[in-house]
Amino acid sequence: MASYILKRILSLIPTFFGATFLAFLIIQMAPGDYLTQLELDPKVTPETIARLRAQFGLDRPFHEQYLLWMHNLLHLNLGYSFAYQAPVLEIVWPRVLNSMVLVVPSTILLFLIAVPVGVYGALRQYSLGDRVVSFLAYLGLAIPNFFLALILMYLVLQVYFRTGVMVFPVSGMTSSGFEQFSFWQKVVDVAWHAVLPIVVLTTSDIAGFSRIMRGQMLEALSQDYVRTARAKGLSERVVVYKHALRNAIIPIVANIGGILPTLISGAGLVEVVMAWPGITPLLLDAISQQDLYVVAGFLTMGLVLLMIGNLLSDLLLAWVDPRIRYE
Amino acid sequence: MRKAVLLVSILALAGAASAQTFVWPQKWTVAKPSEVKRGGTLRAATISDFRTFNPFLTAEDDSVPDIISGDRGLVRRDPTTGDWIPYMAESWTISPNKLEITFKIRKGMKWSDGRPITADDWIMTWRIHTDKAVGSNSYDSFFIDGKPITLKKIDDYTIRFIYPKTDAEAFAVASFVPWPAHVFGPVYQRDGAEGIKKMWTLNEKPGNIVSGGPWLIESYRPGERLVLKRNPAFGEWNKDEAGNPLPYLDRYEIRIVKDVNAALAEFLAGNIDMFSPSTVDQISQIRQAIQQGRLDATIKLNASPVASSQFMVFNWNKASDPFKQSLFRSDKFRRAMSHLVNRQAVIDIVYGGFGTPMYTSVYPVLTQWINPKVPKYEYNPQQAAKLLAELGFTKKDREGYLVDSKGRRIEFNLATNAGNTQREQIAKLIVDEAKKVGVKVNFQAIDFNTLVGQLLSSGPDRPFDAIIIGLTGGGLDWPFGSNVVPCKGNLHMWNKSGQCLDPRETLLEKLYYQGRAELDFKKRVEIGYRMQEIEAELLPVIYIAGPNYHPAWNNRLGGEHPDAIISSIWGSREVELTFIKK
Repeated sequence: MASYILKRILSLIPTFFGATFLAFLIIQMAPGDYLTQLELDPKVTPETIARLRAQFGLDRPFHEQYLLWMHNLLHLNLGYSFAYQAPVLEIVWPRVLNSMVLVVPSTILLFLIAVPVGVYGALRQYSLGDRVVSFLAYLGLAIPNFFLALILMYLVLQVYFRTGVMVFPVSGMTSSGFEQFSFWQKVVDVAWHAVLPIVVLTTSDIAGFSRIMRGQMLEALSQDYVRTARAKGLSERVVVYKHALRNAIIPIVANIGGILPTLISGAGLVEVVMAWPGITPLLLDAISQQDLYVVAGFLTMGLVLLMIGNLLSDLLLAWVDPRIRYE
Repeated sequence: MRKAVLLVSILALAGAASAQTFVWPQKWTVAKPSEVKRGGTLRAATISDFRTFNPFLTAEDDSVPDIISGDRGLVRRDPTTGDWIPYMAESWTISPNKLEITFKIRKGMKWSDGRPITADDWIMTWRIHTDKAVGSNSYDSFFIDGKPITLKKIDDYTIRFIYPKTDAEAFAVASFVPWPAHVFGPVYQRDGAEGIKKMWTLNEKPGNIVSGGPWLIESYRPGERLVLKRNPAFGEWNKDEAGNPLPYLDRYEIRIVKDVNAALAEFLAGNIDMFSPSTVDQISQIRQAIQQGRLDATIKLNASPVASSQFMVFNWNKASDPFKQSLFRSDKFRRAMSHLVNRQAVIDIVYGGFGTPMYTSVYPVLTQWINPKVPKYEYNPQQAAKLLAELGFTKKDREGYLVDSKGRRIEFNLATNAGNTQREQIAKLIVDEAKKVGVKVNFQAIDFNTLVGQLLSSGPDRPFDAIIIGLTGGGLDWPFGSNVVPCKGNLHMWNKSGQCLDPRETLLEKLYYQGRAELDFKKRVEIGYRMQEIEAELLPVIYIAGPNYHPAWNNRLGGEHPDAIISSIWGSREVELTFIKK
């Protein structure tokens, strides 16, 4: 097992270099650079722009920029943001934490809801309940996140206009005057703000996830060993939960490692629409401004977590599925 | 420079309070000092996050240093007249050769940490801005045509600005914001530019940020909210006419809301106090909410045009296609194209009726500068067809497009930046109108950076035909761009061969420098008028139209500007004079 892990880690090295090189290349291939925007300012002279370009190292050939960045990366320095004039990690990390406030509860909720819903759908296949759940699932799948967020914001506003009560905040992560709150008031305030975005995030994911669970379960229920278990006279409860569910859930457990990068990659457009100070708005800004090292640095963080996550998934798989052995 | 104004303001100051105080004139606000309530929080929103607290590194509009300092220096402008008036200076004298301005600095001003504000602060700030290694965005403003402006400390409360040549924008240079020499100086002396770059990042403790302006930083949450609190040191020398210290507010909160719809929703819910709608849809949502009594707010429709230009520019440097090159260089052709721009349709369709047509490079909001009598080549397809016929395009080919005697068709590519839906709509209107008279225009929306690359490329053969784009950032003292008008300018977008091709370009360049060096405002306006006449005739670029500015605010706010000075230049209020009614 140890030699397997070592082999895996060794094989990650070329992957890491290849992926970072590609990421860097793609960003650099976009036309213009961080200073292009400045060129349309009637007050800034071309000499100033050339000077800044040299200061940022943007005038150097591509491979030099990449090697310099790699050099820094190996010293655990993700680089420097042009726009913020500060180290990338310093800028990115607080935003990642903010995103986690949404992503972690929504991931937990996802498992808590999607697995039972999927199992229910499989056990009562084509019943009214299954149809209703399926319908809702497809609806959730069909509505884009940002649009659902806008609808919820609209509803909250309409309720406010009619009753004068703000059920949930329209947007943001904290209330005005947050700094003066006591610790518990702060927790409650953030939680109150997080409800709508978490609802939006979870609904769309539940749809896909519960469908997978339902499919897995149906497949497991049609297997020979389930028939055998029933023929042995085991109670339906034991058949379903001990034999079928345990097998059906293997791929889902194995995928838990894949969640790792999604934990830092933010909640997506919901954050933009609902003014949540997560990583997505920052990253979108960085991309549109071509703030090179913020984008590249963030992609690298995601990449490393993805590699670790994949490794963990494989190990988990061996653990939950006795048929799999790594020698 | 403008002695009369200077005298009047000094008299006003003397009448109201001691010379150490700057009195904010009553005419800048609709509220009388007796109606004003102290305290409360102003809640605003901004679309992009702040990048730094460091005044030497900041590059964005409405940066934290701009906000906490009030963005004012020795002199500031009076919004009611546009004139420069003494602010952190008490008075100034101009040398007989007009190349030196000596400012007497107001005594008794203090930084928020209690240290006095003196000439050293200006000198140090200027040194750091003009250090190339720092990379300050203000670097270029301390040079005139490449020659440096120098500052000299005479004594603690006297400072002299020495200009390499007479300059209409001399006071704009002198209005830069000073920063504390006792904070930045030691670091600069010890570690140079690298030391300065590490200072005042967003992670700096708010308590360490020293301000000479109305606000101190109370807290900053990345991507979320900046909370400012009143700087008591500022109120010691900034008072209203009744002698009350300013600002009236206790706090100024700025939320970062990246999505305009979310900001609008917060405004409609009464959670933020100010919002400037930019589309018809946003305007109508606010008006509806007000009419139905759901929101107690004020909206000033069409308060003024915006301070930017928008135009179509043809490329004069197309050596690889002599036919197109001669066409684009012909003023008759450009006039015909101007006749094809239906500016009223642009306003009605693109801006929902809330826009302003443009005819010269001066932004329509700068009314003092606009020459109303310039020739206007308004929408007139018949006239366009006639002009094109004079150029030899009399016949049409099988597809209905105009051709000359050699069978060459008038056809060009028109580009704008993808994602700017308003510009894309304008381009489509032009394509339609052109087709009606038989001109084939191929429209393409391309990436902004690619577009800028094409537009600013130089040499005899450049890679575009025509582009729709806009400019912002012109000044009130001399509204013509130093990069735009001179033929060697980086933004001389129509002709980047490096030399003037049309005698009128040469004349414009000459007038530009003449006006920039002219200190008499009236004479300068005359030169500006003349330049606009030439521009309108030459049509180096064809100006189209732009949107208007419509500020809206929640009626819990008081102290806005009188209607006459609400505009995209002066905004809807001075934050210092703003107060919370309820």
